Amino acid sequence: MRFQDYRTLFQVACLGFVLLAVSPALSQVVSFPGGGERFSELWLLGSNHMAEDYPFNVRAGEDYSLFLGVGNHLGCSAYYLVYAKFRNQSQSLPNASSSGPSSLSSVYEFRFLVADGDVSETLVTFKILEASVQGNAVVVESVSVNDRAFQVGCSSTWDSDNNGFYFQLFFELWLYNTTGLTFQFHDRFVGIWLNMTG
Amino acid sequence: MSAGRLRFLSAIVLLFVLSSILMVSVFAVNDREAAVSIIGEAEQSVARAYEAVLDAEGVGANVSGLLVRLNAGAWLLSEASMAFEAGDFEEAIRFSELASEVGGEVLGEAEGLEVEARDAGVGRLRWSVVGSVLGVLVVVCVGLLGYRVFKRRYYRRLLKMRPRVG
Repeated sequence: MRFQDYRTLFQVACLGFVLLAVSPALSQVVSFPGGGERFSELWLLGSNHMAEDYPFNVRAGEDYSLFLGVGNHLGCSAYYLVYAKFRNQSQSLPNASSSGPSSLSSVYEFRFLVADGDVSETLVTFKILEASVQGNAVVVESVSVNDRAFQVGCSSTWDSDNNGFYFQLFFELWLYNTTGLTFQFHDRFVGIWLNMTG
Repeated sequence: MSAGRLRFLSAIVLLFVLSSILMVSVFAVNDREAAVSIIGEAEQSVARAYEAVLDAEGVGANVSGLLVRLNAGAWLLSEASMAFEAGDFEEAIRFSELASEVGGEVLGEAEGLEVEARDAGVGRLRWSVVGSVLGVLVVVCVGLLGYRVFKRRYYRRLLKMRPRVG
């Protein structure tokens, strides 16, 4: 090996050590973008805290419970709003193509502030308060979520394909936008189908 | 009782009923307007507190305790909003005022934490720069010294070499 080669090796090694020495100061000034995808989670679990035993065949006047959870992977703390809504098979769901929420009124709302990488879960207890049979339809007049009653006036006709009077309780996730200073639909929703049996 | 007096009495009763209805509806409208305004203020208070928490988090402050408290404020706000929808304006106002209070407290503490975290960050940066400068100086000095020693040894070894005659 010639002397010039040794000298180059020496210079490279010195440069490496210099970079090592300045790295603590550099790390305070230069911020590197965090890896991974930014997203939020929204889920429903059954009363046993598992993805099973969801309420399905429901009767008026009985309590049913679920667990609603929100997970934050947005890189910073997030302020979420979840609207619970009640619909029949023909009423609107959130629009997947235009990222718009359902036009229905909410029957309950939950707000969560979740740290990055953290989750928040809450128990949801719901009850069909008043329901009546009108011809070949079942009309749910009011429901309660976490003991708060709400008039829905929602009717469902007999679904002969699936043998039941079907309704859906679904939850929309909204996120507080610090730029627009308002909540915006976060394009996520989950729900369960309910078959009114009595 | 004469017909005239009866008519007069009926008119008085009617006037009283109408004025009562009017008063009740005026109070209801006032309550509703007051509730809308106070809920709006509470929404802003919690949102401002959240933004302050985000700012504090951005400069490295530990905001987990503030998030727990702000969660309580957000829950109160939900209750206020749902009470309003149910027409219970008094309850809505009560929950909103509590939410505003929590928002205000969290806002103040978040701003304090942000200042502390910023100061701590400046202190860390200062020590990092000092450490880095010292590190670079050590590397340069040791490098130059090592280079000279190596160069001297290299040439000494080179001079001791004798050409081979084949």
